[in-house]
Amino acid sequence: MRRKDKTMQKPQIGRRRALKYFGLLGATAAGREFLEGWLPRGSATMASPAPAAGGLHQIQEIGPSPSPADTESPYVPRFFKPDEFRTVEVLTEMILPTDEKPGAKEAKVANYIDFVVYSASEFEPSLQKQWIDGLGLTNQLSDKQFGEPFLQLSPVQQEDLLTQMSVPEHDPNARHAGFPFYRLLKGMTLEAFFTSKVGLVDFLDYQGLAFLTSFPGCTHPEHQT
Amino acid sequence: MSSQPVYDVIVVGSGAAGGIACHVLATKGLKVLCLEAGRRIVSARDFHTHMYPYDWAYRGQGKPGEYGKLPQGMGWKIKEWTDHLYTIPEEDPYALAPGAKFTWTRMRVLGGRTNCWGRGCDRFGPLDFKAKSLQDGWGEDWPISYEEVAPYYDAVEQFIGVAGSPEDVYNTPSGKHLLPPFNPRCGEWLIKKGAEKLGIKVLPKPLAVLSKPYHGRPECHYCGGCNWGCEVAARYGSVDSVFPHLEGRPNFTLKTNAAVHTVLMDHETGKARGVTYIDAENKQEYEVYGKAVVLAASMVESIRILFNSRNREYPNGLANSSGTLGRYLTEHVAFNDLEGFFPQLAGRPTTNDDGPGESSLYIPRYNYGHKDKKKYLRGWRFDFYTGCGMGPGPGASMAGFGSAYKKKIKELYPAAFSIGGYGEGLAFDWNYVEIDPDGLRDRLGIPQVRFHTNAEYPQAFAIQAEMYAQMEEIMKASGAEIFPYKKVAPYPLGSVTHEAGGARMGDDPKTSVVDKWNRSHDVKNIIVADAACFVTHPEKQITHTLMTLAYRACDHLADDFRQGNV
Repeated sequence: MRRKDKTMQKPQIGRRRALKYFGLLGATAAGREFLEGWLPRGSATMASPAPAAGGLHQIQEIGPSPSPADTESPYVPRFFKPDEFRTVEVLTEMILPTDEKPGAKEAKVANYIDFVVYSASEFEPSLQKQWIDGLGLTNQLSDKQFGEPFLQLSPVQQEDLLTQMSVPEHDPNARHAGFPFYRLLKGMTLEAFFTSKVGLVDFLDYQGLAFLTSFPGCTHPEHQT
Repeated sequence: MSSQPVYDVIVVGSGAAGGIACHVLATKGLKVLCLEAGRRIVSARDFHTHMYPYDWAYRGQGKPGEYGKLPQGMGWKIKEWTDHLYTIPEEDPYALAPGAKFTWTRMRVLGGRTNCWGRGCDRFGPLDFKAKSLQDGWGEDWPISYEEVAPYYDAVEQFIGVAGSPEDVYNTPSGKHLLPPFNPRCGEWLIKKGAEKLGIKVLPKPLAVLSKPYHGRPECHYCGGCNWGCEVAARYGSVDSVFPHLEGRPNFTLKTNAAVHTVLMDHETGKARGVTYIDAENKQEYEVYGKAVVLAASMVESIRILFNSRNREYPNGLANSSGTLGRYLTEHVAFNDLEGFFPQLAGRPTTNDDGPGESSLYIPRYNYGHKDKKKYLRGWRFDFYTGCGMGPGPGASMAGFGSAYKKKIKELYPAAFSIGGYGEGLAFDWNYVEIDPDGLRDRLGIPQVRFHTNAEYPQAFAIQAEMYAQMEEIMKASGAEIFPYKKVAPYPLGSVTHEAGGARMGDDPKTSVVDKWNRSHDVKNIIVADAACFVTHPEKQITHTLMTLAYRACDHLADDFRQGNV
């Protein structure tokens, strides 16, 4: 098992991250004030690590890189065939639809699932089979009940079928052949959505991973007494 | 050999115990060589705390299956943020006897597991050192008392910087010179109020995280990324808090990529004279010489080195005339958290609940005097997590899909809680580790260990049942909705990275490996300074105590040098 070497990954993206980390913070008056109070003075942590093998110079050369599913535009599916990919789009948008707030569509959940399932070839090819079989089963169920493949169904029929597949979630005694695929679909849709900027920041309004000068904690007297 | 330097002390390991050992010995003027099996890391380069999931190619999770099948308790540790720091078990495996389970978290880099540790710093109490005689007659007492250890707890707290409260509760002593505690989140207040209705005390959690600038290190900036490291050293870790102050001293040498294989013996004096190590880069074996050897390589690694140092006098492992080396392994009784939400907090505006990365409050042990009434022994603590996190929270585990489901997720997101506990783990001689008899070797060719460990013993199930019931009671008193949950078997030893024992401390050389100063009974200039020396494993977190015992042992070793006794 050989894992990626972070130091070998796209350096220009690492530099971009480093600029976000330090540059943007230093670009505002508040950020500069924060940095002044926050960067250790005369200690060996940030500006002058010991020995001379680290430091800002190094940060600029390495770092993480975001997924092609987020960066390639337009995204061309790597794993799913066109009809399969369209089905994944429809299904994920049914799990987390766009309403007053963004959903799977805006978060490009199907792109990310395609990218992850494609990448499973190396260590977990069974995931690819689960998706191929699950999408095939969905069409079989659709064909059996409505006489047409899933993509040809009306939104009401699609909702009906997915609801049937989900029944064991509400009723532990119920069984449905499509339930394992429903759980896989739901699980990966949730993961893709809530690890995206759209899901985590735009939808949930996650405010963490911030630079704060103090942590107030709870500011509601009614919670405390 | 004559051209090579002879150090006063060779310290094996640079983590929690090794870092403290180096600090104490080198600042007392001894000539110290520290050998670290892993590579050097630099916080600013190797930690990636300010990265969102979507900054990573696989949103932080790695390619599907990339990390292999991770044992219980390791899944949350090895992520794209950290996978370059940890040893992936399938890449460098250890052996398990049939039916045995053990989760061995290895971080073979400078600083060891202090790079990503939990930071909890509670002290053991008087009853914990004398559990047999002061609690219930079971097991063994430590040969030392809380009063003997207390000054060293103070010393460690002052060195590493601990935020907390000076408030004591029964058998849960606190330092009196801590940095101010952190402010609790909304849900933590609700749990505090609920628990107090039941007469259960809730205290600020002592954390090795700075609430004020300290020793040239900045205070926490509340990003919450501590589990992935800390670029600014606002939490204690030996990479930034020990070695920058020692390197450059003429009496301190750090050598990384040096995996110690054996302790070298002088057969005339019966003392250790150095160690052999494998250079991780060229795979060659080298010798280095010292007047004393401090093993602080982590519980398992220190035991492995002693076993691999077996010789004519000690055919069953060096320092193992007692036959107890590798035995009496122990770990917290740990299992799944209870999860759910506070209806009182549902739908409230999102807040930044990262804080100091850990919860600000916790529930220390409160059950005393239950002897003879229940089947379990000793006690437990509870830790809880509340508020807005980097994930969808409790709503996601609801049934269904669609717009209503999505709205439920948003509504419950700021109302999340989870609560979990640690129960005291008992030390049995049948929980042991040995060198793999089938000849497994690690990636450097060093014989690897095999574990014979089982966490599923009757007292563990008994205390667990009581803990589940108590957690439910506390959360109900706090007004929380608890999701249905499955009761599971206690998690394997090692799964909360609190493994201890295997070279336990005692006055009797027939039943223990090290004496009250962590010195081998058999070979007086070998010190086992890490959690291998533990006799009991109370519900408290163990890192503070192992650092404190390392501090005490090395302080004493320095005295021995001064008096010419080494």
